This record gives sequence, structure tokens and C-alpha cells, in this order.
Amino acid sequence: MNPTPIVPTPDALPLPAPAALLHVLLLLTFTLHLVAMNALVGGAVLALWLRGRAGAVRGAADVAGRIGKALPVCVAATVTLGVAPLLFLQALHGRFFFAASVIMAWPWFSLIPLLIVAYYGAYLESFRGARLAGWRAPLLAATAAIFALIALIQVNNATLLLRPDRWPTLYFGNPRGANWNLGDPQVVPRWLHALSGAVAIGGLLLALWGKARRGSDPEGARLMRRVGLGALGWLTMANVAVGLWFLLALERDVLRRFMGGSGHATGLLALGVVSALALIALAARARRRDQASLTPVTVVAALTMIVMVLTRDFARQTQLAEHVGSLPVAVATQSVNIALFALLLVAAIAIVWWMVRRLARAGR
Amino acid sequence: MNYPVWELAMGGGALIAVVSILHVFVSHFAVGGGLWLVVTESVARRRRDAQLLDVVRAHSRFFLLLTLVFGAITGVGIWFTIALVSPSAVSALIHAYLWGWAIEWTFFVIEIAAAMVYWYGWDRLDRRVHLVVGWIYFVAAWASLAVINGIVTFMLTPGEWLENRSFWAGFFNPTYFPSLTARTALALGQAGLFALITATALPRTTARAWCVRWNAAWVLAALLLGSAAGIWYRGVFPGWSDAVLGAIPILPLVARWLVVGVAAMILLALWPLLLPARWNRLGAALLATAGLLVFAAGEWTREAGRKPYTIHGYLYSTGLRVEQEEHLVADGVAAHTKWLDPRARPAENPAAFGGELYRNHCACCHTRDGYNGLRPWLAHWDDATVRNLLPRLQHVRGLMPAWHGTPAETEALAAHLRTMRSAAAAMPTAPAAAAREAWRVSCGLCHTTDGFRPLRESLSGLSRAELSALLDTLHELTDAMPPYAAAPAQRQRLLDQLVALAAAPAVAPVGAAPGGDAR
Ligand code: HEC
Ligand code: HEC
Ligand code: HEM
Repeated sequence: MNPTPIVPTPDALPLPAPAALLHVLLLLTFTLHLVAMNALVGGAVLALWLRGRAGAVRGAADVAGRIGKALPVCVAATVTLGVAPLLFLQALHGRFFFAASVIMAWPWFSLIPLLIVAYYGAYLESFRGARLAGWRAPLLAATAAIFALIALIQVNNATLLLRPDRWPTLYFGNPRGANWNLGDPQVVPRWLHALSGAVAIGGLLLALWGKARRGSDPEGARLMRRVGLGALGWLTMANVAVGLWFLLALERDVLRRFMGGSGHATGLLALGVVSALALIALAARARRRDQASLTPVTVVAALTMIVMVLTRDFARQTQLAEHVGSLPVAVATQSVNIALFALLLVAAIAIVWWMVRRLARAGR
Repeated sequence: MNYPVWELAMGGGALIAVVSILHVFVSHFAVGGGLWLVVTESVARRRRDAQLLDVVRAHSRFFLLLTLVFGAITGVGIWFTIALVSPSAVSALIHAYLWGWAIEWTFFVIEIAAAMVYWYGWDRLDRRVHLVVGWIYFVAAWASLAVINGIVTFMLTPGEWLENRSFWAGFFNPTYFPSLTARTALALGQAGLFALITATALPRTTARAWCVRWNAAWVLAALLLGSAAGIWYRGVFPGWSDAVLGAIPILPLVARWLVVGVAAMILLALWPLLLPARWNRLGAALLATAGLLVFAAGEWTREAGRKPYTIHGYLYSTGLRVEQEEHLVADGVAAHTKWLDPRARPAENPAAFGGELYRNHCACCHTRDGYNGLRPWLAHWDDATVRNLLPRLQHVRGLMPAWHGTPAETEALAAHLRTMRSAAAAMPTAPAAAAREAWRVSCGLCHTTDGFRPLRESLSGLSRAELSALLDTLHELTDAMPPYAAAPAQRQRLLDQLVALAAAPAVAPVGAAPGGDAR
């Protein structure tokens, strides 16, 4: 059966802001969500790895515990920064997103209980880790596995919403919502790409954290830097391979654009590959030389992430284009409310900044 | 209609109810508990009461673990759930109130950060800053409640938004302020309630006794404020008349239990206030249970009042916009339903096609055997009864949108309902019970004896022969009524009931228990 795709009609109400503004906000907040997610997933994986090396490497258990302590804050940041892109995604691509979510309703819904369990897992590690003795590593592993599963659910939804052609078969085959999008060849490489990227960036964040702790704990700081930069280099290398797999799994039409069909897409991809290669070299260099500055590697990592977010966005625009239709979307800009939001956002950032500064200054 | 429907055995409404009751119970604690922490901390600091300060600190850990994890994630969970069950409603809200949500998010960011800084700052921050952070938390949490309240009440009473599509007209809608007052009361009450629960674990010191009293005062104050808000709400809620209440069969009962429950809670809360030393786990369990029931009943009443809309007067629960209805009248239902399985062809397999129609237009509110299950009813009806009823669904108590199927679509839907029916229902053997049952599954669908569309007075004094003649001419009285088409034995049972009704004078004052007789 290859039925015609069913695409919901746009909402009858106008968009409350120009699509371009919503798009910028989506990309911006999604990038922040990714950074937090990387700190979380990367942190959990690296803590686990360090715990496994505790017998062999001096100070490894200590650093693992330190990361574990910070995990709940990472979850809070990931979730809080996930809410905003979800809003803008629903406003911009709601008709694709809602349909895809309903088709995979059970996996999507299960994200919530899974998140609650894993969040408590993170708190258990943070508050009670030392008292868990032999249970500590298995608990951390289970928590990390749940976060990886949540990422898989996210990837399934992010890819299913691109494929109205797959919807009728999946939905009418199982209207009870027990569907995954695993038949789409993109899913597995995309997930692995996200996970190894997360551990790489998590490694960079660990190295930066180490730098901030150089004064108070030089030995731990050195370990954080070494392990973090190692993760950054090795997993970025792995991601070049996974990325190639991911690229080849894209739909023909999209792939063609990345392979010269569109200057914009090809340029983005080339920039991404070059910056990833530069990242590998810079990470290796900084790891060899303890005194080398982390600024170049951080800048290139940020650049790589931004390029990846834009590449992903370009692929989405291309895939949805044939279903979006050419009718203009009605817009009724709520200028006053946008201004109010901007004002409150600035105030929120200032207040959070002030509180965190007070806490950081107060020290232990 | 526009989106696929998630087929869920328990019913989407039930799932939303479960997630939202869990969430709201904790999220209001997240607001009120924040105030409790900072106010109680100030008291403890002012009195230099180290014991009390320890109590506050221990409570703040419980608070953190409950609200930040369970409260915050179930909040995201409600959003997920509603988007799965009523995607059209979330889509409409995202268009109308995106910036409301975005503004709420800025408060949410402050709230989460402040909760963490407050907790991690116990030993690190100086006292003044710690208290300031506590106040920042509470103000942000309450502000996010005040924003969400606008969006939630908008769905129930959109007010002038229906005409002018103005963000603020829909936001500050007729139930905004009473509802915000009620929610604030709930927040304060839960702060006291949760603190009364954790207080049972404290060692029996003077701090404990003081705390128990203090918490009881919070609960009592909240109950009084909440009762006042309830009365205010009732005054402005347009759907809240006895007639409309009667339209929803179980509602009058729930509404009555709500009042009983509040009274019970007030009495229970006097215990810790007057006898703080005797306060124990049993009392805490009773009070918490009563609180959960009262709260669930309130939430349930409000949700029932929503039917048949998700956004009142704008969007039906089926995802159909009110303004689209005329197109369905003109073209039938299938022409405007996107998610029909192409394999279910109407001509070849009407029952399967009817199943597709059912999923798209009925399944959002009905299940087979569970929540609002149809099978038990279908067992009482033959095909003619079902076919006559379908075009009149909007008149059934329970508030359904009208069914606008073409004759062929109605046939297909009826064929599907036939597949849902198992055996015919056994009637009770006692004659009086059988008569009541015959009423319940026919006239009782749309009438009560004394409350909603009451029949007692119209039938009063009629003889059995006159009543029998009436049954044959019902559909001539008004189009709203289906012709009465039950089998002869069933008809006699119904006549038994009608005769009894025609002979007996009204016993209950109108409106006292509009639903009781039909159930
Ligand atoms: C907005 C939600 C909603 C929709 C949509 C809806 N119903 Fe109902 N229906 C109700 C409620 C509520 C009741 C009353 C339930 C009660 O007795 O408490 C009811 C009652 C009924 C009854 C009478 C038996 C009973 O349960 O009381 C039948 C038959 C029925 N509905 C059939 C349908 C059919 C067929 C459709 C689809 C065309 C449909 N309904 C769509 C909410 C809905
Ligand atoms: C599908 C819903 C429905 C069913 C079933 C139904 N009715 Fe009605 N009935 C109505 C509506 C709607 C009206 C109009 C009421 C009004 O205008 O207030 C009405 C009006 C009446 C009236 C005239 C108005 C009055 O109050 O005197 C009588 C008598 C009546 N119904 C009797 C019955 C009897 C007897 C039965 C059971 C065999 C029955 N109805 C079943 C919906 C229904
Ligand atoms: C804490 C565990 C979480 C993890 C590990 C996680 C991970 C991810 C990953 C890997 C993606 C990329 C998917 C892809 O493009 O293929 C993603 C996207 C996304 N996540 Fe999360 N996420 C988490 C929680 C959340 C929560 C709770 C929300 C919402 C409240 C959320 C909102 C989003 C949104 C909206 C996107 C997609 C944005 C877009 O497609 O433009 N995430 N997440």
C-alpha cells in the first residue's frame, strides 16, 4: 500500500508573529536546548566512564562524583530550554508535528514517565550517590540509558514529522499509537550522530569546567581537561563516520542538494565537515599541551554546532517544502505581546544571572 | 477531522484527567509552598529559632524533589497529553496564545533557577540574599500561575474573544479573576497541607507543635478563601445553572459532594489547630485524601462543564470548529474528515467505514466498555432506535455536538455500532426496577423527571392509554425527539414507569437532584 500522504490544513487562526521571527527563535532556543542536553547526556556518559576507570586512574571517582552532583541541574536546564523550542516548533510546523506525535503516541507520551524516572535517578546519584555503594554505577548507567532512549524518541518524532508519505501506512496499521519511525533509514544514524555529538560537547564542557577549577583543585582539573578533550576528539572522529552514514541515509532529493544541487546546502555541509576536522585537530593539540588555551577549540566547537543546527534545518525545510504548499500563511502580529515577552526575557536573564552570581561568589 | 485520532482504550479524557490531577495537585503546591518556605524561614530567623529553621530546611528538600521533578515534568506532560488527545485545541491555543505561553516560560525559567539557588544556597548565601531568592521564587511561580490561568480559563469562557479575537479580551475573560483566586487558595491550602503531612515525621518538640498550628491556619484560611472563590465562580460561570447541570447526568451529584467535602475538610483542619500535640499520620492521611477528592471533584465539574467544546463556542472536542459546521451539514461528514482509512470503502464494507467515522467523531468522548462506554447502552437498543437517535445526539444529556452524517453515513455508523453491541442486555426481574431501566435507556437519555427538561408535570394526570398514544406521536411534538420504536415488552415496562410518574406528585424540589431519578 502506498496511499497518498495526508497533510492537515493550516490552523484557521493567524500566526501571532511573522514566521521568520518564530524561525529565528526556534533555532536559537533549540541550540540552547542542545547545549544543555549535551551537558546532561555527555556528563552522564563521562561520569560512568570515569567510574569504570576509578581503579586505574587516580581522582577518576572524584571527578565522576562531581559530575554526578551536577546532573540534576543539567536535567532542569535541558527541560526548561526544551519547552521554548517546542512552543515555536508547534507554531511553525504544528500540523506536521501534531500528526506525527499522534501516530507515535505511546512512545511520545512515554517520554514523560521516562523523564520523571531518569530525573529522580539523577537526584539519587547527586544526593545519595556515595551511599549507594555497589549500586551506584548500575544506577547511573540506567539513568544514562533512559536519557539515550528519550533522545531516540525525540529523533523518531523529528524524522516522522518530515514524512507524511509514511503516515497513512503507520497510522492505519496501528491507530492506537504504538508506532516508531524505525523504518526510516535516517533514524538510527541520526540518533547515533546526536549521541556521540553529545558526549563530544559534554567533553568540551568538562574541560572548560576543569579550567575554572584549576586554582582550587589542580589535579582534578587536569583530569577533567584530559578526559574531556579526549572525548571531544575521539567522538568527533567517530561522528565524521556516523555523519557520512547519516548523509547517505537522507532522501535522494535532499542528498542531491547537499551534493552540489544547492550552493547553500553544499556550502553548509562543507563548512560543517571542515570545522569538524579542525575540531579534531585542535582537541588533540590542546590535549597534548596542558597550557594551551581552550578558546580556539571552544570557538570551533560552537561554530560546528551552529552549522549542524542550520544543516538540519535546511534538510527539514527541503523535505517539508513539497507538503507545505504555496499559500501564504495568515499573520496577525501581536507586537505588544512580543515586546512584553522580550522585556520579561531580558529581566529573567538578569535575575537568573544575579542569583547564580551570588551563589557562585559565595563559594563553599 | 484535521488530525489523526489516538485510539485509546481508557479514553483520552480519562488520560488527561489522570495527568492533570496529578500535575495540578503538585503544581499549586509549587506556588503556595514557595510562599510557605520564605515566610516560615523569615519567622524562624526573626525568632532565632534553630529548630524551626531546621524544619524549613528539611521541608525545602522535599519541596525541591517534589515540585522540580514531578511538578515540572507532569506540567510538560499535560501539554504533551492534550496535544495527543486534542491536537486541534493545542494548535488553536498556540496560535492565539503563543506569546502568553512564551511569557509564562520566562517566569518558569526564573522559578526553576530560583528553586535551585534557594536549595543550594542554604549554607552559602547570607540570610538576606537567601530570603530575597525565596521571594523571587514565589513571585515568579505565582506570576506563571496567573498567566497559565488566563489561557486555561480562556478555553472555558473565551468571552469577547469569540467576536473580536483580542488576546487580552480572551485572557481577562469572565472567569479569570474568580479562577485565579481559587487557584491561589488552592496553592495556599496545599502549602499548609503538605507541611502538615511532613510535620507528622518531626520529633515532638515545641517547634513541631507551633508548625502544626501554623500549617492548620494556612489550610483553614485557604478553605475560606477557596469557598468564597467558588461562590464567585459560580456566579459568573455562564454554564452553571441547575438546568445545565442537569444536562450532565452525574454532575449534580459530584457538585453536592464537593460541598460536603469542603465542609469535612474544614472540620478536619480544626484538629491540628486545636489539638496540635495529637496531630498524627491518620489525620494527615484523612485530610490529604479529602483534599484530593475535593480537588478532583472540582476539576471534574469544570471539565464536564466544557462539553461539548474544548474551546467554548469555537472548537468542539472532535476538532471541528463551530464555523465549519455548516459545511458538514451541506456535504456530510466524510468529505471533511481527513483521516479515513482508504481501505474501508463505504459501499463494500459499511461497518468498517462506520468505524472510521466513529473514531473521528465519537471516540474523543466515548470508549467501548470504559470511560463513557457505549456498549452497555447499545445492548438495550435495536437498529431502529440507534438510527433514530443518531441525528438527534445534540439533544441527549451529556452535551454532544450534532451528528451531521448523510443518510448513508448514518447507516454506516449504525452498522459499526451494531458490531460493538454484544448480546442484548438482560432486564432486571423486579418490575419496578425493570420499569426504571426502560425509562433510563429511552426518555431518560434526554429528560429527567424533575430537573432538566422535566416531564412529571407534562405527564401528570394522563392515563395509560393516553401515555401510550403519546409514545406514538413523540416525534410529531418536536423534531428533537426520536420516534419511540422499542419492542412491545419493553414498551409495557416504560409505560409502567410513565404511569407511576403521571400519578405521583413531585417529591423533590425542582433542581435539587435533577439527575438522581434517571440514574
Ligand atoms: C463532546 C463529547 C462527545 C462526543 C463527541 C460524542 N459524545 Fe455521545 N455522549 C457524550 C456524553 C458526555 C454523554 C452522556 C454520558 C452520560 O450518560 O453520562 C453521551 C451520551 C451518548 C449516548 C447515550 C448513552 C450514554 O452513554 O449516555 C450515545 C448513544 C452516544 N453518546 C453516542 C455518540 C455517538 C454515536 C457519537 C459520535 C457521532 C458521540 N456520542 C459523540 C459525549 C460525547
Ligand atoms: C433524543 C432526546 C430525547 C428523547 C430520547 C426523548 N425526548 Fe422528549 N423531548 C426532547 C426535546 C429536546 C424536547 C423539547 C424540550 C423543550 O423544548 O424544552 C422534548 C419534549 C418532550 C415533550 C413535550 C415538552 C414537555 O416538556 O412537555 C414530551 C411530553 C416529551 N418530550 C416526552 C418524552 C418521552 C415520554 C420520551 C421517552 C419515550 C422522550 N420524550 C424521549 C428530547 C428527547
Ligand atoms: C531530558 C531529556 C532530553 C533529551 C536527551 C533530548 C534530546 C533531544 C535530541 C537528541 C533532539 C534532536 C532530535 C533530532 O533532531 O533528531 C531533541 C530535539 C528536541 N527536543 Fe529534546 N530532549 C530531552 C528533553 C526534552 C523535553 C522535555 C522537551 C520539551 C519540553 C524537549 C524538546 C525538544 C524539541 C522541541 C526538539 C526539536 C526541535 C526541532 O525539531 O526543531 N526535549 N531533543
